[in-house]
Amino acid sequence: MMRRAVLLAAALLGISAPLRADEAVTVPIQGRDAFSRPLPGLDPAQRAAFHAGRSLFQQVWTVGPSEVRPDLDGLGPLSNRQSCIACHVKNGRGEPPEGEGDVLRSTLVRLSVPGGKPGGAPPPHPVYGDQFNPDGIPGVPGEGRATLIWSERVERLADGTPVALRQPELRLSDLAHGPLGSEVMTSVRMAPPIIGLGLLEAVSESDLLALADPDDRDGDGVRGRANLVWDAARGAFALGRFGLKANQPSLRQQNAGAFDGDLGLTSTLFPRHGCTAAQTACLAAVAGVGPELDDEQLDLVTLYTRALAVPERRDVDDPLVRVGEGLFAAIGCAACHTPTLRTGPSPSLPQLAGRTIHPYTDLLLHDMGEGLADGRPDFQATGRQWRTPPLWGLGLTAAVADRATYLHDGRARSPLEAILWHGGEAETAREAVRRMPSLNRKALLAFLDSL
Amino acid sequence: MRPISCRIAAPLLGSVLMLGSGTGWALEDRVVVMTSYPDELVQRYEQAFERANPGTDLQILWKPSRDAAVELAKPDQGGIDVYWTPSLGSFPRMRDAGAFRPLAVDRAVLPGVVDGQFVSDRQGFFEAFEVAGYGLIVNPAALARDGLPQPATWRDLAATRWRGRLALPIAGQVGFSGALYDILLQAEGWEAGWALLGEAAADATLIGSGGQVSESVVNGEADVAVTVDFFARSAIANGHPVALVYPPRTAFLPAQVAITRGALHPDAARAFVDFVLSAPGQALLFHPDIRRYPVRPAVYAQAPAGTINPFQRTGAESYTYDMEAGLGRHGLIASLFEKLIAERHDRLKALWGAIHAAEAALAAKPDPERAVLVARARLLAGFVPVAGGDVDRLAPTFQERRSNRNPEERAALQKDWSARVDAAQAEALDLARRALPTP
Repeated sequence: MMRRAVLLAAALLGISAPLRADEAVTVPIQGRDAFSRPLPGLDPAQRAAFHAGRSLFQQVWTVGPSEVRPDLDGLGPLSNRQSCIACHVKNGRGEPPEGEGDVLRSTLVRLSVPGGKPGGAPPPHPVYGDQFNPDGIPGVPGEGRATLIWSERVERLADGTPVALRQPELRLSDLAHGPLGSEVMTSVRMAPPIIGLGLLEAVSESDLLALADPDDRDGDGVRGRANLVWDAARGAFALGRFGLKANQPSLRQQNAGAFDGDLGLTSTLFPRHGCTAAQTACLAAVAGVGPELDDEQLDLVTLYTRALAVPERRDVDDPLVRVGEGLFAAIGCAACHTPTLRTGPSPSLPQLAGRTIHPYTDLLLHDMGEGLADGRPDFQATGRQWRTPPLWGLGLTAAVADRATYLHDGRARSPLEAILWHGGEAETAREAVRRMPSLNRKALLAFLDSL
Repeated sequence: MRPISCRIAAPLLGSVLMLGSGTGWALEDRVVVMTSYPDELVQRYEQAFERANPGTDLQILWKPSRDAAVELAKPDQGGIDVYWTPSLGSFPRMRDAGAFRPLAVDRAVLPGVVDGQFVSDRQGFFEAFEVAGYGLIVNPAALARDGLPQPATWRDLAATRWRGRLALPIAGQVGFSGALYDILLQAEGWEAGWALLGEAAADATLIGSGGQVSESVVNGEADVAVTVDFFARSAIANGHPVALVYPPRTAFLPAQVAITRGALHPDAARAFVDFVLSAPGQALLFHPDIRRYPVRPAVYAQAPAGTINPFQRTGAESYTYDMEAGLGRHGLIASLFEKLIAERHDRLKALWGAIHAAEAALAAKPDPERAVLVARARLLAGFVPVAGGDVDRLAPTFQERRSNRNPEERAALQKDWSARVDAAQAEALDLARRALPTP
C-alpha cells in the first residue's frame, strides 16, 4: 500500500531519472572512511602527492625547534588545535562541545568588532585578533576557554510530531587579556567536511554568478548573492566560494588561512603571526624568519583537499528516495542547493575538468533568517547570510563521525532539525517540510540520506 | 607541595596507581603531556580526560622521540609532566638518565606482561599503556580470486606466488619497521631471515611511509604487506575488506607512559596516568580509529567482536622475542636493509628471477649438477655481510640511525658490505644462469 502511494506520488511529481554521480569523480564507499579516498584516476605522481598531503593534513605540528623534523615545527604561539584532522574529523564535520564542562575542540570562534569598510574584511578584535585561540605554546597563555551552553525547545510539525531543537550560547571564560567588551562580534564555526572541494573550485565563476539573483528578479523569494573577498595571491577582490560564509576565494588560500588561524603556522600567503600588540608573550615567542609552512607543503595539502573524492550516492533507484528527490526540487530546496553544476578547466588537477557534478550547492550567500544569524558581517556577507553548504556525502555523516551534527555550529542533531532551523530565504521550503505528510517527509529524508 | 613519596604511599581503591584521580584534593589546573601519538588517538584521550577531570587542562606537546629526549634532558625537563608515547627504546634510556619518578602499580589489574613479554619497567619508572603486534595485512578477496592461499608465516613471504603483490616497508624510513624486521629475524634466525627478506623483497614494492604500507593493500596496489597491526586493525574497523594475519612467531610490543622527575603538576600527572590505565581509558583503545591492544586484561570483556586477546593468544608457537636485544639492533637493520635491499632492488629482482627460473626448470627436468649450482646460487643470493654472531658487537655503531655518530666507521663498514654483497650476488647470478638449461 505504502509503496503504491509512493509510486503514485512519484508519478504526480513527474520525477525524471535520478541524478547519478559521474563515475570519474566519485568512489563507491560507504564506511567510516567514506570521506578519505582519492579521486579515481590519479596518476602515480598525483597519488604520491595525495598521500604526502594526507600525511601533512593528519600531522600533529610541533613547537620548535625540532632537530628531527624541522619541517614540522612552528605551531603557535597561539592556536586552536595542533592538526588539521583534529577539526575535520576523518575529513568530515567537527563536533560541537556537549556542555559547560566541555570546551570547543573541532569548532572555533571568529571575532571582530564593528567599523570595517562596507564589503571589506571584518576588523579583528584589537586584543584577541580575528579568532579565539584557546591554546598557547609553553610560555604563552591561551586566550581563554570557549564553551557552549545549550538550550532546547520543542517545535511541532503540522501533524503534531515533536522535534527538539537546541540552540547554543557561547561562553568565553578565563580570558587571558580581560573582557572582550560589549561590541565584540562572535561567530561559532564547526569544521565542515572537505570532500569534493577541487570540483567546487573548478566550477567557473561565470556559472556561479549566473545563479545569483540578489534582487530576486524571478520573484521566488530566493536571492543568492556572491561574496567578493580578498584574494591574497592576486592582490585583488575575487569571488568567494570556500568557508561557511564563502570568505575565501581559493582552496590554497582557504588552507593557508586555516594553517594561520587554527594552527598558528605562517606561509607565504600569510607571512605574519596574528599576535596583537597586547599579547606580549605571543609577540615574544615569535621566532625565526620565513614561512613555517613552506610552499611545497601548502601545495601538497591543497592537492590533498582538492583530490578528496565524493562518495557515490546510495539507493538512487529506491522509490522512496526518488519521491524525496522530486519533493526536494518541488518545495524549493533546490533553488539554493543546486543539484547540478558543471566544472570548467582545471589546470591544477586536469581530471576535475569538464565534469557534471551534483554537489547540491550554488556556493552563494543566502539570508537564513534570525534563528541562524551570527550577526557578524564577513566581506559582502551580512550577519544573516551563510553560504549554501554542499549536501553531497550528507547521508554518510553518521557513518563517518562518532557523533553526527549539522549546520554551521553543529546545533542540529539530524537533517530534519537542520531543515527546521532554515529561515529567511528558505522559510517557504522549511514551512513546506513542516506541513508535509509524514510519508513525504520520510521520502525527503530518505533522499537526503542517499546523498 | 608534599614530597612525592608520601603521596605514592597512600593506597586508594579504584585507582590503577596507588594515587590518582578521585583523590579528593583538587588537581592542578593543567597537565603537560609530551607524545608522538597521532592526533586521532590523542584527541580522544584529551576529551575523555578533561571530561573526567573538569578544571584540569590537558596540554599536549607533540615531539618525535629524539626531540623528546632533548626536551626531557633540559634542567626543567621542558615543563613536561608526563611522557606518553610509542617509543620502545626511549623509556629505558630516559629512566637511566633519571628523567622519571617511580610509579606504584597494582599488578593485580595491570600484570605488565603480555604474550610472555615483560612490557613495563621492572624498576617501576614507566608503565605499558598499550601493545601492538606485528604481522601481515592481506586482501582475502584478491587472493581468493586468483586461487591463492593467505600467507600464514614469515617464511611464506618468500614464495614466488606473491610476485608483484607484496609491499614491504623500507627499514630506514618507516618507524615501526625496525621492530618488525627484528621480530622476523629473531623468529627465522639472522642469516635465514635476511635471505628470506631478500627473496621476498625482490618482487615486492618498497614503501617509505608507515601508513602507506597498509594503505597499499586497502587501495588494491598490493595484496599482502607486512605491518604493525593497528594500521590493519583500524582499516578493518573502518570497513575495508582486508584481514590481519599474525605469524605464529611474532611479538606484541608496548608503548609506555611515565611521570617526569620534575613534574610541575604531579597530581594532575598522576590523574592522567591513572586515566589512561583505567578501564575507561584502556577501553578507548578499541575505538575504530585507534585499535591498539589494552594492557589491562579485564577490559577485553568490552572488546569488539573479533578482537584477539594478546593475553590469551592461541595458535602462537612457543617463542619469546628478546625485546631488549632487539632495541639496539634497529639502526643496524636499517643500514643493512638499505645496502642489501633498497639500493640493490633492481639487481635483486633480476637475481631472484634467474634463481626461480632455474628452479622451475629443475622441477620440470631434474638434474643433479644443475641442482648444486642453484643451491649455491640461492645461498649466495641470501648472503648478509654481518654474521649473526657479530650483530650485537656492531649494533651500537648504528644505534642512532638518524644521527651522524661514528660516520667514518659506518661508512667504512658499509663500503665493505657493498663490496661483499656485490661479489656474492654477482656470483649467484652467474650460477643461476649457468643452471638454466641451454636452449
